[in-house]
Amino acid sequence: MPSRARPVVQLFATCLGDLVVPDAVADAELLLREAGFDVVFPRGQVCCGQPAFNAGHRSAARRVASGLTRAFSRDAPVVCPSGSCATMVSRYLPELVGCAPLDVWELSAFLDDRGASCGRRLEGRRLAYHDSCHMLRELRVSAPPRRLLEAAGATLVPLPRPDLCCGFGGTFSVRQPEVSVALADDKLAGAAEAEALVTADPGCLVHLRGRAQRTGGPPVVHLASALARGVAAP
Amino acid sequence: MSDGLAQPAGRFRAVARETLRDGHVLGAVDAGTARSMHARLAAWDGLPDVEALRDRAHEIRMRAIDDLDALLAQFREAVEARGGTVRVCRTAEEARDYVVEVCRRADARLVAKSKSMASEEIRLNEALEAAGIRAVETDLGEYIVQLAGEHPSHIIMPAIRKTAGDVAELLGRVEGRPLAPELETLAAAARRQLREVFERADVGVTGANFAVAETGSICLVTNEGNGGLVTSLPRVHVALLGMERLVPKLADLAPLLELLARSATGQKLTSYTRLLTGPRRPGEEDGPEELHVVVIDNGRSNLRRGRYREMLACIRCGSCLNVCPVYRKTGGDAYGPVYSGPMGAVLVPLVSGLGRAPSLPHASSLCGACTDACPVKIPLHELLLELRADLVSGGVAPRRERVAFALWSLAWRTPLLYRLSTTAARLGQPLARLAGPGRAWSAGRALPPLARRRYRDRR
Repeated sequence: MPSRARPVVQLFATCLGDLVVPDAVADAELLLREAGFDVVFPRGQVCCGQPAFNAGHRSAARRVASGLTRAFSRDAPVVCPSGSCATMVSRYLPELVGCAPLDVWELSAFLDDRGASCGRRLEGRRLAYHDSCHMLRELRVSAPPRRLLEAAGATLVPLPRPDLCCGFGGTFSVRQPEVSVALADDKLAGAAEAEALVTADPGCLVHLRGRAQRTGGPPVVHLASALARGVAAP
Repeated sequence: MSDGLAQPAGRFRAVARETLRDGHVLGAVDAGTARSMHARLAAWDGLPDVEALRDRAHEIRMRAIDDLDALLAQFREAVEARGGTVRVCRTAEEARDYVVEVCRRADARLVAKSKSMASEEIRLNEALEAAGIRAVETDLGEYIVQLAGEHPSHIIMPAIRKTAGDVAELLGRVEGRPLAPELETLAAAARRQLREVFERADVGVTGANFAVAETGSICLVTNEGNGGLVTSLPRVHVALLGMERLVPKLADLAPLLELLARSATGQKLTSYTRLLTGPRRPGEEDGPEELHVVVIDNGRSNLRRGRYREMLACIRCGSCLNVCPVYRKTGGDAYGPVYSGPMGAVLVPLVSGLGRAPSLPHASSLCGACTDACPVKIPLHELLLELRADLVSGGVAPRRERVAFALWSLAWRTPLLYRLSTTAARLGQPLARLAGPGRAWSAGRALPPLARRRYRDRR
């Protein structure tokens, strides 16, 4: 049935997505299917190598990332529920590995670009959106996630300093844990008025959620999960 | 230690931890940096095409760095033709010895200083003191920091950690009576205290924001007017010039000055932008009898080849400090006594050697705010990434870290090994919090549990 064939997207789960927030990846898959895409999951994928790359361990990063570049086809877009991994793959990977570039997208940028509708599962919810730094400054993606959340019915509560990093920063979070946590505290305090703090990056998510679990704070939710399943009313 | 820049591994975290406990300092730093950032953004908005201006400034700086040898020769010739001297110093030690020598020859007992990060870099005050010469900072912020016996915590706002109350206490001690923490009272007290220094100083020491090769001019950008007094009242003027701060022609200054003032303080121009060309000439009413320009290399030559040369474009505006989340939480001192924030994290390891500042390339979450804020478009966070790679390839990164990443990369090389190793990691996870990164993480945060069923197991 070639005339009815749905366009294909390749889902890149990312290591944190696969191992720590698999529900968010499943939610991303659901949103892509709802938007009319055929979602394939290339089984050869592991990780983009970013943890090692950002720590300066380039040969380790290259070893891991070269598997990723072989796993994905150049014939269909790659979509991943992480602004940070999308940055690594699009900005740094071709040079690091010496491979042809992939057509990689962060999930919300892709859905927004394709005019996808994600339903109205956030009717009446008051949410804060946290820009991850790579998405904001490397991919320059800041409007699409907000548009999707608002289109789903949410009211966005602005954060006092949306430009400030949440303090995750990969290995920074364990090299300078005190500074890292202090930045998370500011971010969580800024979102106190919201019913949930939404982010499109699993890295920021585990860091902010882990801190909120210790100190109390708003629930921290992945963008894909907020859109696909809504956010529980307080 | 031949300069005042280097610092051992682990110092950053130790100092940062102390600052994080000091709500007073954090509040002052947060307010100061936010104010400066908003001022810069508003000033940039007022330009017809800030991107074009940034590109032009970048180009002027990079071209000057390409031609540095020729420009230095031309600059020297122009200064000497006007009756000044130029001395190029390879190390911090050479520079401070030379300045001490100039002061001795002038029989100086008191030196009045205008703000200069280069003088901090070569630790001039300590050298002068050791030679029995008193040096007094006359920039208000620097003066406050000097009275407190501290180092500047910000390249533009040295006393960023101090509140009006702190300043009243410090100036009051000199006055010998308590002062009200009000702006006018404090400014009047400082003016009184410093006026005496200007009048009695034998030598004036300044930095130099830029130098012009064709005319041999020094360009000084200040807001308090102290730069004018330091360069006109004392008999001898010593200008400390970072060797990269040259531009070919007078006209090249315009875009740089437009960006420097706007980026540093949000002003279109600072209150005083001074061009000093040579010592006093016959018939002139003021100015020093002697002018000595000390050109400081101190490791800058290391940067002239390769990717890091872009760091030499830095005009020391402080924009990157003001937007940096890590600077905001550490207030400068963690980076060391001189340069801080992203520019310091890049510059210090480059001029001092990576092994002597191994924590600094990692004192960043790589958020990239610095790169966006840099008026001359230095890709600061990318240079930090390069430095991290150099830490590993140069063998400075700890062995256990290199072994850990090598093992990790072997395990995650194929999907099969990835599945096996992550299953093992899940089973061993209860132990993660006991040591290493898991312990550092879980001191302040819950460790995210590894899912029983990975996403790939569900497909």
